[in-house]
Amino acid sequence: MKRKAYGRDAGLTWRMLFTSSLLGLLYVFFALALFYVLNAGLILMLVIVGGLAFVQYFTSDKLALRASGAKVVEREEAPALHDMIERLAAMADLPKPRVAIIESEVPNAFATGRNKKHAAVAVTTGLWNRLEPQEIEGVLAHELSHIVNRDVLVMTVASFFAMLAGLLTRFGLYSGMFGGFGGGRDNNNNSVPVWLIVVLVSVVTYVLSQILILAISRYREYAADRGSALITGAPENLMSALQKIASQITMIPQQDLRQVETMNAFFIVPTNWRKRGAELFMTHPPMEKRLAALAEIAREMGRPVA
Amino acid sequence: MGLGDILSGRKKLKEPAADRLFAISTARITLETELELKPTGTAGVCFKPLSSGEFVRAENELQQLLDVVANESGSKVERRSDDLGFEWLVIHDEDFEDLVASVHLVASELDSRGFGPQLLAAVFPFESKGFDAKRIYWIYGFKQGTFWPFVPKGDDKERDNAEELELKAKLEKELPVEQDLTRWFALFDAPV
Repeated sequence: MKRKAYGRDAGLTWRMLFTSSLLGLLYVFFALALFYVLNAGLILMLVIVGGLAFVQYFTSDKLALRASGAKVVEREEAPALHDMIERLAAMADLPKPRVAIIESEVPNAFATGRNKKHAAVAVTTGLWNRLEPQEIEGVLAHELSHIVNRDVLVMTVASFFAMLAGLLTRFGLYSGMFGGFGGGRDNNNNSVPVWLIVVLVSVVTYVLSQILILAISRYREYAADRGSALITGAPENLMSALQKIASQITMIPQQDLRQVETMNAFFIVPTNWRKRGAELFMTHPPMEKRLAALAEIAREMGRPVA
Repeated sequence: MGLGDILSGRKKLKEPAADRLFAISTARITLETELELKPTGTAGVCFKPLSSGEFVRAENELQQLLDVVANESGSKVERRSDDLGFEWLVIHDEDFEDLVASVHLVASELDSRGFGPQLLAAVFPFESKGFDAKRIYWIYGFKQGTFWPFVPKGDDKERDNAEELELKAKLEKELPVEQDLTRWFALFDAPV
């Protein structure tokens, strides 16, 4: 039997297509603008960024695991976790990913890897200890759905030109400051310097593409939530897991005020500046919307929702 | 911190906000009637002592301060220090409103003597007797001018987060409770 399609959400598919094509359009404009003002140097830039993206793509699993301090564990070290992931991978028709553990009290998990054969799933000890087994299954199934959906590939491709634009901004600024962006100058003596146009175009591209990339990222999260619901057949488990993960209890610190104050010498971060981050700039959709979407799936599946 | 300070990289200690302290006086009624938590008749003000160069001046100032507080209020004030190198002024008064007023007086006296930026927190313990005996703390952060609950559990420096969140929910209406939970730092073994 062929693998069952991972559920359909017409609205979500449409939004994803729309955002991706906006992003594509933006990149085309970016490329055109660059070709117009710059005749040389672009190939080099493309090669550099292409190389970077390539390296990032092929080392994504190792990079992410290393960066998060995750330790790959063998079956003997965490048999229960291995069993659970094996079962879920079989349900999702995936080869078993590598399993890693992060020593952290904050419940969290992530999946990484460029394709199904080079994937890894990492969970924190906090997730394993604080959540019920069915809730952990919901979270793991969400991560496995990211692997099924090839999200590392999607995000690498989506951010390719954003990386280029970011690099050009910096490069353009430096070369503008230290004597020009190649030959364009002589012909344009009385107009705006070329490097300034390049920098401006790059900045605009960079900002707009970041917003679009984040939107795509949020849509992929909804898709992975849906995937989790279908793998486990019980969206309510992921719902309660999400609620637990986001619940306030995990935010209350264990440290003593006096120790903290000694450490940062009474220096106070401006209050609440990070709390009101607009949805536009978030990689994950807000919790209420995810829960609402999951509740909708649960209704479609005829599951009880608390 | 203003934009100017951020741009110039200036690092200034924030001045204390003592005015919202009095909210605990009214909150105490809810604590007592709904949660059967009574004030213990003590409260503490925790601050960081100055560097040794200022030590003599600071000692004199503190002695003066204790005299002023003793004259102006009926509360008893004693000095304590803790293992973490912080100084405490522990205030005793059976009348809760006087207790709060004395805490405010101590804080503003410390402030006017130049200790303001070193003021860390005021601590108000409450306890219930009998079957469900426990001790909870409301901590007032002078930096933010907000209160947060602290309920230590057992001997192992653990805290009862569920109870703390319940206290927040119950008193949010009448007390300026710190909304950023990542700032709800503990104060284990406070000498109050």
